[in-house]
Order: sequence, then C-alpha cells, then structure tokens
Amino acid sequence: MARVASCSGTLAAVIADPSADPFRRFLILSHAELRISLGAAVAGSDPALSMADRLCHACVHLLEVDGAAISVMLEGLSQGTAGSSGELSRQLDELQFTFGEGPCTDAVRHGEPVMAENLANAAEQRWPAYAGSALGLGIRAVYALPINLANSCVGALDLYRHKPGPLEGDSLVGGLMAAELAELPLMALMSANADLVAVADGEEAWDHLAALARVEVYQATGMLMGQLGVGPADALVRLRAHAFAHGLTASEAAWLIVGRQLVLEPDEPRNLGPIGGVS
Amino acid sequence: MSDDREHALTQAFVSIANSMVDGVDVVDLLTGLTTDCVRLLNVASAGLLLADAHGVLHVLAASSERTRDLEMFQLQRDQGPCLDCYRTGAAIDVEDLSAQAERWPQFVQAAADAGFASVHAVPMRLRETVLGALNLFRTEVGPLGAGDRDLAQALAHVASIALVADKAAADRETINQQLQTALTSRIAIEQAKGILAQLGGLDMDQAFAVLRRYARDHNLRLTDVAQHLTSREMAASELLQAASPPRP
Repeated sequence: MARVASCSGTLAAVIADPSADPFRRFLILSHAELRISLGAAVAGSDPALSMADRLCHACVHLLEVDGAAISVMLEGLSQGTAGSSGELSRQLDELQFTFGEGPCTDAVRHGEPVMAENLANAAEQRWPAYAGSALGLGIRAVYALPINLANSCVGALDLYRHKPGPLEGDSLVGGLMAAELAELPLMALMSANADLVAVADGEEAWDHLAALARVEVYQATGMLMGQLGVGPADALVRLRAHAFAHGLTASEAAWLIVGRQLVLEPDEPRNLGPIGGVS
Repeated sequence: MSDDREHALTQAFVSIANSMVDGVDVVDLLTGLTTDCVRLLNVASAGLLLADAHGVLHVLAASSERTRDLEMFQLQRDQGPCLDCYRTGAAIDVEDLSAQAERWPQFVQAAADAGFASVHAVPMRLRETVLGALNLFRTEVGPLGAGDRDLAQALAHVASIALVADKAAADRETINQQLQTALTSRIAIEQAKGILAQLGGLDMDQAFAVLRRYARDHNLRLTDVAQHLTSREMAASELLQAASPPRP
C-alpha cells in the first residue's frame, strides 16, 4: 500500500479488500471519501508534478485504472496533453493527436463519455489507427470522460486499462469526479496562472468549483461572450482571472459585470497558445 | 376563488400538462412554475432549487431577477429552509424569519435585506427521492393559507413528475441524469441571457423574455435556442431583431 500513502490524509480510513486480486489490492472508499481524496490530489504540492499530473496519479491510486491522462482541446484553438500519470499514458494521449482520432477526440466533440471497453474486439472499428497503436502499447480499454468548463467541453480525462472490461461502479463515479476537478488545472492552463486555482485541501477544491456554479457567474460569462466574442470557457477564465487579480470572489466580479459597473478589457491576460509538446 | 384566479390556476396546470406531452423544456417549465406561484399564491417571490449528484443545491428557476432574491436562494446551498427541506424531505414553514436568526444567521439576514418576513419551503419528490425544494417568500409574517400551501405542494409535485416526464419508473441514476440535464440547460440559458443583455442593452428579465419569445414563436425549445446562441450557431442579432421589428 506504500504507493497510496502519499495521496491523501483521509486514507487512514482506507480498507483493502481481501477478496481482491492479491497482486492488485484496490481501495474501497465511500463516495464522500473518494471526493475528498481526489480533491486532495489537486491540492497537493509536489513540486515535480503539475496539478493535472497529480490528478492523473490520484486516478491510478484511487480508481481501478492503470493509467490516466488529461487532454486539452480549447474551443478549437489548441490541443495537447495537460497532464498524465506517466510516460505511457502521455504517449497514449498523444497518439490521438498524431492520428486525429480516438476516444478522447470523440468525447470532446460530442461532450459525452466515450467508452472503449475492448480495443481488440473485432467490432471495435471507431479508431483503427489509434486502436492499433494503443494495443501495441499493451492497452486494451480506454475511457474518455469530457471536461466541461462553463458548459463548454474543453478537454477529456482519459483512463486506461491493460485488461478489457467496462468502467463501472466506484471507478466510474470517481472518474466523473476527477473529470470535474480537472476543470481547475485547465483553468490554470488557459489563464497561464497556476495561482488562480490553488487550493489548500480537497474540500476547498470542490468549494472552488461550486463558487463558479452560480447564476450571476453564468450571466456575466454570457455578457463577456457577447462583448468579447469569445467562447464560454474563455469568458469564464477571464472573469475568474480578473476576480483573482483584484481580490474579488467570482460572484462579486460577476455581480459587478451584470450590474454594468465593471467592463473587462479585450486584452486581459490569458493563454491560448499551444499547450505541451503537441499542438 | 375569483374567476381570474381560477383561470390562472387552470392555465398553470394546463401548461405543465402540455409541456409533458410536447416534450418538456425543464427550465422553461419550472420558471413558469415560480411565476405561477407568485401570481396564484399570496407570495412575493418564488425560487426552485434542485440538487446535483453531490447533493449540492442549485437555483434552477426564480420568479425574480433581483440580485437580493437570487443571493437569498443561492445562500441556501449552505443553510436555510430550502436546504433543510431538501435534507428532510418535509415542508418547512417559517412564519417569522426574525425568530430564526440563530438557526440560519446568513440566510435570515439576506432575506431581511431583501424585504422578506416569512418563508415556506415544500419538497420536490419522486417517491422516496427528494429532488430539491420550492421556496416561497412573503413580505409579512404569519402562516401561508392552508389552500395556498396545498396548492404550492401540488404544483411542486406535478413539476417533479414533469422533470422525469417519460421515465415513469425512473431509478436514481436516471433521475440524476435528468437533473443534470436540467442544471446544464440552466447554465446555457443564463449565458444566453448574458449575451442578449450585453448585445441588446437589456436587463436580465428583458433578455429572458426575448429568448423565451423567440423559442415560442419558432416552436423551439428554450434550451436549444440558448445552446445555439452560446455555441454561436445562431447570432444574437437574429433574436434581438425579431424582438424589436423595424418601425414602419
């Protein structure tokens, strides 16, 4: 269990399931614990890893998957790998950019989870080039969960397994939670400011997301979209960045915008350039 | 019951029934429900909060765009009668808010700031599953009349059924999906209101009216029009022009 110890303080409560495969002891966490443990990964401070990397590592520790990567596709402007649990996952993620096809690409395009439970199945013909290469790297199953920011799909969390089979139960629940948390590193990427989404613990990570899920934030995001001609995610990131720079909450900044007491300039800092090694 | 009220009441149930048959746009339906509450019941403001998969309450519909009203509804993510009603599944009547300052300090303050003296929350339920709550605010202290209370609960029940309209045997997962769809659709609608408010120089009430009118005139779902606007498949100018035809 050593590899798990660094992941979260709540793991003291973790129980190893004796009925599990003796070579792979997986964790049984309540959904509330899973929520906080995944959040804690985002809050962690390992200087060697980015927030996106830490979230991917947490997926491998906490969910029954062998690898994880976060792809970013910013409203058609740039794409790349924002984070991964390791070199294999990064390679797998980049395959889809190389071939221009894959579960993640489809998940982002349609804004829905895409489950490839068995890439070796003859009936699986959705991504022939991608599937061939992924199989060559020893991967049998890929699950791509969309990451939505301001109701706009800006990327996907890809989970990988060496063995075929469905992503279900707690792994699915946890994967969906992680895809929500992945909004935070993607906001940091888009604003080129990691401090924007810095959180102290797992609870704060979720509070941070809840602070954006407010009527006035949606309305102000829309006003910025109209004013600046940008997409929803970009508009939200600008709002959040302005609030951060001026010591306001997202809600306070949003009310000012809705009340027409605050107008953001078109050139507020942001980052829409290529991300990672691939673009 | 006056003829006017009886007519309005009939209309409220007819529109809910029709929306179930025609394919419901949840936000449109529930916004109508909150305005019906204000029109039909002796209440000044109504808001409807639905829970997401994490049990966090979100404002899905409100009869008013007033900042203070929205804040009051949103505060109940953390405390207040709506949250308690959601957690217990039972209606809550607070006939004098000022007496509850210790129980819900921030909420009572926000409600007082907004000019309200009493509040009532009725649950939205599907059998044992609580979906959220309907919140009714009044400017005077005292009980909500028994007839009004029953009517509010009846409207909430019908709206709960409409939420999962064609899934009679809905399980928790299906219900969650429906709620998530409703919450997502709310995001698009608020964003679309913002776009129209910005480009048309409108306030949020007017922006919503433009959006709703366009959807109705073109026989489209409110959510679909909103999503077309936010994805820029449809230009805001088209809706704004339709709302204010050039003068002859």
